Order: sequence, then C-alpha cells, then structure tokens
Amino acid sequence: MEIILEAKGLSKSYRVGEKNEHKVLKNIDLKIKQGEFVCVMGPSGSGKSTLLYNISGMDKISSGSVLFNDKEISGLSEKDLSLLRLHEMGFIFQHIHLLKNLCIYDNIILSAYLANKRSRKKINDTAIELMKKMGIYELANNDITQASGGQLQRVAICRALINDPNIIFGDEPTGALNSKSASDIMEILNDINKLGTTILLVTHDVKVAAKTERILYMLDGQIVGEKKLNKYKKESKDVRDREKILSIWLREMDF
Amino acid sequence: MLIRMFKKDFLKNKVITATLFIFIFLSSLLVASGTNMITEMTNSLNALFTKSQVPHFVQMHSGKVDYSHIDAFATENNLVKDHQVVEMIQIDDGNITFGNVKASETNSIMDHYFVKQNSSFDFLLNLNSERIHVSSGEIAVPIYFMQKENISLGDKVTISTTDFTKEFIVTDFVRDVQMNPSVIHSKRFVVNEADLNELKKNIGQIEYLLEFQLTDVNELNNFRNLYQSAELPNKGPTIDYPLFKALNAITDGIVSALIIFVSILLSIIALLCIRFTILAAIEEDYQEIGVMKAIGIDLQDIKKVYLLKYIVMAAGASVAGYMVSLLVNHLFTFNIMLYMGTAPKNLFLKLIPFLAVVLIFLFTVFFCMFILRRFNKISAVEALRLKDSNEKSKNVNYFPFNKNSFSNIHILLGIRDIRIRFRIYGLLFLVFLICSFIIIVPVNFLNTIQSPDFIKYLGVERSDIRIDIQQSDTSDNFANIITNISNDPDVEKFAPLVTSQFKLVNNEGALENISIESGDFSIFSLEYVTGAAPTRQNEIAISYLNSEEYEKSVGDSLKLFIDGQEEEMVISGVYQDVTNGGRTAKALIPPNKDNVLSYKIGVDFKANVSIPGKIAEYSNTFYPAKVTNLKGYVNETFGNTIKQVRTFTISAIIIAIFISILITSLFLKMLIAKDYSQLAIMRSIGFSLKHIRIQYVTRTLGVLIIGIILGTFVSNALGQRVASVVLSFMGASEIKFVIDPIKAYFICPFILILTVSLTTILSIGSIKNFSITNIGA
Repeated sequence: MEIILEAKGLSKSYRVGEKNEHKVLKNIDLKIKQGEFVCVMGPSGSGKSTLLYNISGMDKISSGSVLFNDKEISGLSEKDLSLLRLHEMGFIFQHIHLLKNLCIYDNIILSAYLANKRSRKKINDTAIELMKKMGIYELANNDITQASGGQLQRVAICRALINDPNIIFGDEPTGALNSKSASDIMEILNDINKLGTTILLVTHDVKVAAKTERILYMLDGQIVGEKKLNKYKKESKDVRDREKILSIWLREMDF
Repeated sequence: MLIRMFKKDFLKNKVITATLFIFIFLSSLLVASGTNMITEMTNSLNALFTKSQVPHFVQMHSGKVDYSHIDAFATENNLVKDHQVVEMIQIDDGNITFGNVKASETNSIMDHYFVKQNSSFDFLLNLNSERIHVSSGEIAVPIYFMQKENISLGDKVTISTTDFTKEFIVTDFVRDVQMNPSVIHSKRFVVNEADLNELKKNIGQIEYLLEFQLTDVNELNNFRNLYQSAELPNKGPTIDYPLFKALNAITDGIVSALIIFVSILLSIIALLCIRFTILAAIEEDYQEIGVMKAIGIDLQDIKKVYLLKYIVMAAGASVAGYMVSLLVNHLFTFNIMLYMGTAPKNLFLKLIPFLAVVLIFLFTVFFCMFILRRFNKISAVEALRLKDSNEKSKNVNYFPFNKNSFSNIHILLGIRDIRIRFRIYGLLFLVFLICSFIIIVPVNFLNTIQSPDFIKYLGVERSDIRIDIQQSDTSDNFANIITNISNDPDVEKFAPLVTSQFKLVNNEGALENISIESGDFSIFSLEYVTGAAPTRQNEIAISYLNSEEYEKSVGDSLKLFIDGQEEEMVISGVYQDVTNGGRTAKALIPPNKDNVLSYKIGVDFKANVSIPGKIAEYSNTFYPAKVTNLKGYVNETFGNTIKQVRTFTISAIIIAIFISILITSLFLKMLIAKDYSQLAIMRSIGFSLKHIRIQYVTRTLGVLIIGIILGTFVSNALGQRVASVVLSFMGASEIKFVIDPIKAYFICPFILILTVSLTTILSIGSIKNFSITNIGA
C-alpha cells in the first residue's frame, strides 16, 4: 500500500517566556498508509493533538518535514494549505466546531460550495445522501443549537466527508459524547474507512482505540509504542477481544 | 488601586479608549469653536454697530435732493433722533485702476462710491475700528477690494478719464457697517473732503444716502410708512437696521451653524461608540457579572467602576477639546475679525463655549449611566447558561445556500451575516449614515450656491448675461441697447425689464412705495416658492419678504396706484429674492415712467457663441451700461461665502473619512475578537485568508452601502431643510439642492467605499494568526 502521510524528524516547540523553549514533539518519524485507520493514544500533555495538527498542516512545525502524498507540505503557503485542507483533508473535532450562523445543512455543504468542483445539484444530492446515512436528514434546516452532541458530531462528519477527502483527522471526536453516541460515531468512521478513506484519530478512550487497526502510544512528545490489530469487524465478540488485547498492551505501556 | 485599574484597562483597550477620547475631544473642540464664533460675531457686530453708529433707516437715491425738505421732515418727526444726507460720487469701474489693474478688467459687479468721512453717525472705520481720517491724496479702500484685488497699504488707486487723472495712495482700509457684505453691490471708498469736491467737479455722478437714526428702533415700520407717505426722495432701494444685521452675519453665520451641526453629529457618534464599547465590555464580563450576582455581590459597586472610567475619559477629552479650541479660535474667527473687528467680551460671553463643552460632558456621563442600567437586567441564570448575551435567538435560515443561485459563496456569507446579526452592525451603520450625511450635505450645499441656477433663488432670472443700466441714464440708452440686441444674430432670446416705483395701499391703509419690475417674465424662468409668474395685466408676483410683510399669499389681492388710479392686483406667485433688500415685485403693467429705478436686460446667446467675447463687445458698445455674466455675478456676490463653505466642505470630507477609518477599524477589531472561533473553524475547513477578507469587506461595504443610500435620502430631505433655514433670513426661504450626480452619487460614495475597503483589509490582518489549535479543539 502507498504511504499517504509521512513525518520525518518532526519536532515542535513553543516559546515559554523570553528564553525558555518547551519541546512538545521530539523528532517524530511516522508513516501512514493509504486506507489505514490509525489512532494515537497517550496521557494528557503527551503531545497527541499537537502531532495531529502539525502532521495535518494546521500548525507550523519547528523542524523536520511532513509529506502528504509524497509532497512536502510543511513549507506550503497559507493559500496552498487552505486548498489542501479543502480538497484533500477532513477534520472532526472534540468540540465539533460548526459555524453558528449557518443551519445544519449549510454547515455541511459550505466547503463543497467553496471547493466548487461539482455542480451544486450534485453537491446537494451528496449532502442529502450523507445526512440520510448518518440519520440526521430531518435536522437539515435546524440551528446548531437545536441538536444533540451526537447529532452534531454526525453533522461534522458529513462536513468532513462532503469533498470526498483522502484523509480524515479526528481530534477526540467522541470525547464529548456519551458511550452510545461514541460507539455509533466509531461505527460510522469504520464504514467510511472501509470505503478507502484514511483516518487518523487522537483519543484516550480504549473503546474508541479498539475499533481502529493501528494504535500509536505517545509519551513526552515521542512515539514510544505501536500495536497492530486486524481490521475491525462488526461482531460483539471481536470487539471484546480487541479491547482486552489493547488494555493489556496499554497496561504494559503504563497508561 | 483605582489608578492601577484604570491603567490596566486603558492598556488593554488602547484603541477603543483612544477612539472615544478623540471623538469627545473633537466634538468639544468644534462645539467650543462654533459657539465662540457665534459669540464673537454677535459681540463684534454689536461693537461695530456701536462704534460706527449705524443708521436705522437708509434710503438710497439718485436724483435731486431738497435738503430743506428733508430737514423739515426730520425735525417735525419725533421718531428721528438724528439724520444726515451723504453724498456719494459713483465712479465707473472703467475709470478706476488698482495698482496697474483696471477695475473693469475683473468684471466687477460692484458699484464704486467715493465718500468723505461722515460727521455725526455712520462712521467709516479702519481695521482697528477707529474712525478713518485721510489727508489729501490718500484713500481708504473697502476690505472687499483689499481681499479681492490684493491691495496693501502704500498701493496706488488711480481715477482717470480722457481729460482728468487723479492718483491716491492707499493709507487705510474701510470697515463699512452698511456695505461690508459682498451681497451688497455697493462699496464706499473714503477720501479727503477736498479730493471729493475735485472728483465731483470732474468725474462721476452724485448719488445720495438719506440716513436716519431713530429714537426707538422698534418703531422702524412706523417710520418707514411715514417716510414713504411723505414726498421724500425715493429713487433707490431702502435698507434698514435688521437687514444690516442679517447681511453682516450671513457668511460667518452659515459657517458657524455648519460647525456646530458637525459637532452635534460627532457627539452622536461618540455616544454610539460609548454605547457599543460599554455593551461589548458587559458582554465580555457577562458570565463574571452573572457569577458575582449569583453569589450576592452588590452590582452597584461594579457599575461605579465602569462609570468612573468613562467620567475620567470624557472629562479629559472635554478639557483637552476646550483648551485646543482656545488655541485655534483665531482660525475660525479670522473673517469676523477682518470684517467686524474685535471687541472685549464680557465674562458671560467668554463662558458660553465653556458651558457648551460642559453640556457635552454632562450629556456623555448621563448617557453612560443610562446604558449601565443594563447591569440590573442581567439575570444570573442566563448569564451562566449563555456565553454571550447576543446568542439568545436568531434565525439561521436566511438565504440558505442551496436555495440561492448567488455564485460567490463569500459574498453570500458576508450578506447573510449582516442580515443575521444586524444589531451588531448597528453602530457601523449609523456611523456610515452620519458620515455620508456629513459629506453629502456640504457638497450639495456648496454645489448649490456655486451653481448658476442658484441665481433663481436670488430674484434674478437665469440668463447667460445681464445688462444693467443706471437709473440716471436716459431711457433712450435703454431703447438703443434693445434695438442693438434685437439685431444681433448671436442672440437667442432676450428680455428687457424695467424697475420702477409705485404706490401701494398697505394693511394699515397707508401709502407705501413698492418697486415693481415690468416686462415679460415668460422668457427667463425664476424659481417660485408658490404660484407662478404673472401672465395677466392684473396679476403681480411678490418677493418672499414682501409677502411676509404684507401678510399676503397667492390668490390674495393688493391695491396699487397705477397712473393715479387705484387698481386691484391679484398675487400670482411668491418668489425668493435677495436683491434690493429682498422687497420686490413683478408685474406686466407698464413701468411708472416718472419713477424708474433701473433697467435690466437678460440675454441668452446661441449655442456656440463665446460669452466672454460677447461681454467684452457689449461692455464696449453699450458703455456705461454694466454687462455681467451670471457666474461672475454669483461669484462676486457669494465669493467669500463660497470660499468659506468650500473650506468647510473639504474639512467635513476629511473628518468623515477620518471617522469612517477610525470606527471601521475599531469595530472590526472587536468583531474579529468576537468571531475568533468562527474564523478559526473556517480556516480549518479550507477557507483562505483571501476568502475571509472578501467576507469582511462584503460585510463592511454592505453596511456602508445601506448607510450611504439612507444617508443620501436623509441628506436630500433633511439637509435641504437645514440649508433653507440657514438661508431663510436672507429672503431665500426654500432651497432645492442643485445636485451634481457625479459628485454626490459617484465620487463621494466612492471615496467612502475605498476608504472603508482599505481599512477593512488592514484591520483584519491579524486573522492570519487565527488557528483552531488556539481555541481548544
């Protein structure tokens, strides 16, 4: 399989006061293959989210390089990065981050209208299809304050998918949801992954991580461990097994 | 402790505090300067009136004067305190040279009168407001010419005809209470008595001013009736005390009124900004205030801290504004000082500008207190539940994307935002409305008084040129000119008009003089306030001031004596007039041949005829008739006013641009702070900086365009009324703006649009640092 995203010697540090520097990411090497479902775990402050934002070009790296489809993206202009995010990437956040002055439907189609790759009719058809699939079609004209957290995260996933991206980045996408909603969201993400979309998630939830196929463990800005699982299948026995294996491994990692 | 809190707050809100300070400062400065101008003007005018001992009633007269008759009338009449007959030698502008420039070359519409200093009243003063004394060979020149011809002390003024030459040295300038204003088309030069007698013998013709001072100026109307019913000299207009006052005050009156007007608008902007910042601050602290309320802290204390901040700032800005006004007052009062001189002011007059500033300060403070009442309305529960107070309800379904064929998504987003959050844009909208008002009203006003059409309000028909013939010339000359013009192939149309005096029965049943212009009024149009020009023999149109005085309007009738017969005339229309003291009339009746005051011919030329060439030709052929083009007529009459209004207009445009820059950047700083998370989200889903810039420019321009459109409407409706009020005391009660559509509807809005667009782009520069990583993903 082809490598879709690669970090080489990726470091990120923040200035603390006048002289001190705080190193958040230390010389990270990472490869993600096309179609993979990867998850980053680790304790708070280990640098999981920072890795996600730096590897996705959302934040500026301090040193090293990031290749997306074999193309160096760390030196791209703001404009090119915007285009990359618009056409190639999708993002899902813990706090959902929808635009509050748009109704749910417009939140979903906004970036497709912006990308302007397809006719507006096609975009609308895709959006309706996605919403129906996610079970939020009847909320289309609602204000974002008129939906539950789980529903809003489905909206955010629809938004992330509308331009048919190569990769989806998720920063604790289930972090603010109850366990039923979280489980539903993970089912949806797995369905998407099975259709070929690469997914990179950050989470501290074992149940979430257990539904991915490769788990990276971060500590103090470095990747200190890796666990591979098979592709997730929708069988309750399988789920329990995966969670068990992962828990043991995580205990070994001192999680 | 308090100082530390202020310091911290000022540092935190530098831009906002500075903006508020500047607005209160500017409005204090302008209100102080404007009121100072008015007090200075009233005071100087009173001093000038006292020092020069202004007459209360003046009859201009050209013709013979029987001194004993006048003396007898004055002694018998107990209303008269003093009287005098002033001899004036009128010298044609072709015979006068200032330095090396012939007065006629500048096509002056002014009449040049040479006089000696008066002995009992109506003194002609110099620039120190002292009575002028000139020795033989010396001359004092009116301020009007000093400015227009750039004359300085020691320059030469030469009077010459083919067989007579007399040279004068300028030793003084004349401050002339009667003839200072440029609206008065007569100017007095002061020479020595011996020189005057020499001029009288050799050149020019004598005209007279019959001047009266009354025991009680309130009896002016009675006196006018008495004077007019006595058979006294009356070949010429009469001017009286109230008109002197009005005419002297007009230029500076207009400008000071405009300044105060702008200062009021600035105060309104300052108040709007204060409201906006207080509400923004409350919103920022909304949750904290809620928490404090929930745990039982007395909100009055927090309110006091808020209020104190604005009191300190408003006080500082007002004091600074007042202080600076003291330094720059001389710039505003320059014209007053020149034409009226200075006079010591009493304490009360000195206090007025200060009190005006105090008023602005107090108003600001009360306004803050009013806004801070919102504190009481904050509910603890709501404050804790909602992050900010504006998030309560909104309809997000305006202009949904899929039902909109609008192709540019960024412009659509910008427009949606204005619609959904219009309350937030309220400040910007009102400021833009005021800014366009501040620009458009002066621009239209300036354009109106500069326009040749403005002449229609002055009681003068609009024609390419007008030819004036002195009443003392024979009517043969008039007939001659008419024949000449009617044979001139270049002439498109012309209308001869003769002004003569008739007797009229006034409301009290007494006989009164009225100047009536006779001729065909259908050839050149005049603007009528009501009704229209007379078309039948028994119809008459009267000027606005006459209609006020006689208390008559269209359809009423007037009793006139025509050829000794009493005839009833129906009023066909009322027009505005500032000529001849504003009291005139127009009718088709033949002129009263025994009492003709002046002859006038309006001429329009064919399309490709050079008007300046024709003026030169006619001036030569028809000498000594005076030929003027209408543009020159307006320029000389209103030149000084136009100049001041132009300066004011430029300042107003600069102020408006400055305000829009300041408020736009202040507003956007607050807006993008408020929108931080939304912008970060947009950036995260692939919006580029350019896209976001387009959205913001759309928002500000959208608000601006609504502001400009409404501002233009308000300007046209309200501005016209303001201008009419300003000009009404000259006899022009109803002004229709002459609007130059390119300036008013294209250039002015374009300037604002450009300014606001650039300011928007510069103000939102910081969005490039907005990232989703900073808002807690």
